[in-house]
Amino acid sequence: MFDPSGIAVVGASASEGKIGYEAMANAAAFDGPVYPVNPSGSGTLFGEPFVESVSDIGGDVDLALCCVPGPALPDVLEECGEAGIGAAVVYASGFAEAGDEGERLQARVVDVADEHDVSLLGPNTSGFVVPERDLRCSFASGVEKIPAGNTAVVAQSGGVAHVLAFQSRRQGRGVSAMVGLGNRANVGFTEAIDYFDGDERTDAIVLHVEGTDDGRGLLEACRESDTPVVAYKVGQSDVGEFAESHTGALTGDHELYTAGFAQYGVPTVDATDDLLDAAAALGNSPEPAGPNVGVVTAQAGPGIIVTDRIQRAGGRLPELGAETRARIDDVLPGVTYTGNPVDTGRPMPEFGELVTAVAEDDAVDIVLVYELFEEALGFPVASLSGLAERVGKPVLFATEGVEEEMAEEKAALAEAGVPTFETPERAADAAGVLARYAELSARVAAEEVSRDA
Amino acid sequence: MRDADPIDAAREDGRTTLTEAEGKRLLAEAGVETPRFEVCPDATAAVDAAETLGYPVVVKVSSPAVTHKSEWADGAGVAIGLDSADAVREAAEAILAAAAESGIDADVLVEEAMDVNAGTEVIVGGLRDPSFGPVVLTGLGGVFTEVFEDTSHRIAPVSHREARSAIEELQAATLLRGYRGSDPADVDAVAAVVKAVGDFVTDYPIAELDVNPVLASADGAVALDALVVLEAE
Repeated sequence: MFDPSGIAVVGASASEGKIGYEAMANAAAFDGPVYPVNPSGSGTLFGEPFVESVSDIGGDVDLALCCVPGPALPDVLEECGEAGIGAAVVYASGFAEAGDEGERLQARVVDVADEHDVSLLGPNTSGFVVPERDLRCSFASGVEKIPAGNTAVVAQSGGVAHVLAFQSRRQGRGVSAMVGLGNRANVGFTEAIDYFDGDERTDAIVLHVEGTDDGRGLLEACRESDTPVVAYKVGQSDVGEFAESHTGALTGDHELYTAGFAQYGVPTVDATDDLLDAAAALGNSPEPAGPNVGVVTAQAGPGIIVTDRIQRAGGRLPELGAETRARIDDVLPGVTYTGNPVDTGRPMPEFGELVTAVAEDDAVDIVLVYELFEEALGFPVASLSGLAERVGKPVLFATEGVEEEMAEEKAALAEAGVPTFETPERAADAAGVLARYAELSARVAAEEVSRDA
Repeated sequence: MRDADPIDAAREDGRTTLTEAEGKRLLAEAGVETPRFEVCPDATAAVDAAETLGYPVVVKVSSPAVTHKSEWADGAGVAIGLDSADAVREAAEAILAAAAESGIDADVLVEEAMDVNAGTEVIVGGLRDPSFGPVVLTGLGGVFTEVFEDTSHRIAPVSHREARSAIEELQAATLLRGYRGSDPADVDAVAAVVKAVGDFVTDYPIAELDVNPVLASADGAVALDALVVLEAE
């Protein structure tokens, strides 16, 4: 599905604005063969000659983008199956989300797909995009601008998948893939998590979840994943109406997702941008060993916001070791505050050395640096570069300043693999996610030990 | 293998709800402590049971038709703190009369009284969720259960460690740790109930289960009431 050699666009159309046109326009950029399929098409579309049916395709093809209305799908999928195409994206809506008749149609589609061993993304999805391969199996406009990154976005809603992907672009981050699962006919969270866990471009997986009929399967897939997973569960209502017991009346969907994710090692967040911040922190850092955050700030005010918020977000602020405090005092006699946070009062050339000292403190599991941009000094890129890998701890960086003036230095930090954050709050929340991830991982590991014992 | 007879008995009668006595027998087999009790067909048997158990006792309606006993028959369903044969006889007769009046089959459950002021009331519940399967709930119990909604959930089955963490994340954990000079409750005993209930919904065809309250004290954790609803066959 996500790594095809050739693509058939079934229902490709020369009329601009139709899904069959937009999907073809996006897919045409793919570096493998792309075939527009339509029995009534003639000539070429984006330079590729129309073929009448998927069985007439001569070359490699293993993915079909189905731009046909729902009722035509069973036949289309049967032809795909017979032509040896093992994966299909179904954009059409009007299936299980649309009442009894749609549900029956979806059941038929799944039967045909299962019989012919075809994986189905959708129906009722806007598709998926893998930027690094120019693989744009979405009919939405602008997907060619989504940059490549190392976060896999797996959203229940195709719309939210695009929201996250475009947000990620604006944040200068990018995605390894963006997937809208839609109705999850036979490719659901479990299959997607499994796939992206094994994907070498992916270092973090983010989930947008509205609700699924196999919550336990979802949790188990998350626990199995070696790649960190972060989840955003939407919707806080839905208490069982069947309840005869207090237990039933007190057990809502949201409680079970929240408790279940924690029990299975998955930190949860409550907003789309938090999801991407969490992924940036987890996907670009060594695994945190614990929840203890060492904060270094060049300005007291933002530092106070950060330290206050970290504790609410699940992190802890340990006392720094005597040795570290002595080092700080050595570098910078009379520094404003040498506890935790370390506050220098203003940016200064020695700032990088202080960050290094805190990062090397054994009491610290996670480092968070806040510094307003000072043009004459720039960022401590040299000190931060490679620091996280060397000390084996996440090092997060947050700043503020004039975008254009910081651009070059920010790019240098990105180049050095330092995850950066836009506000003191978001940096603190990202550190909180790392802290919770460390604690939840330890909890899951302890459970595994007691299960195996 | 635990004896699942109460479940078979309910199935044979076409019932999905177990009586309190049936529920407590199942819990007792799973190692959960319950007060001593007897189920009696009439007032005389109830008095005999009370004499054997020792006063004070609690007398409750015992019928598959009554799930919320304290709200049943204008409060006749539960009589607490009975310390004489006359009081027991009166309470039992009231239950049987109310049952006859509403046309249901009922017995009388006579149980040794526990001092609920000697501990903290906790709810432990289980249910089979359509998406997550067996889950277990822990919370502040008794009359405040639905007032404060101080609960935590776990996907079942759970280890003793997870059961403990479910208790420790409650607001009510502060009460269990002991406050204003009271002795800390035996949290491990409560955790054992949480674990047992988790195993219970995992192993049996149970739709919903309330053990409410569980009386948690320094002496242990005792299940004072049990509501078991089976899955429809």
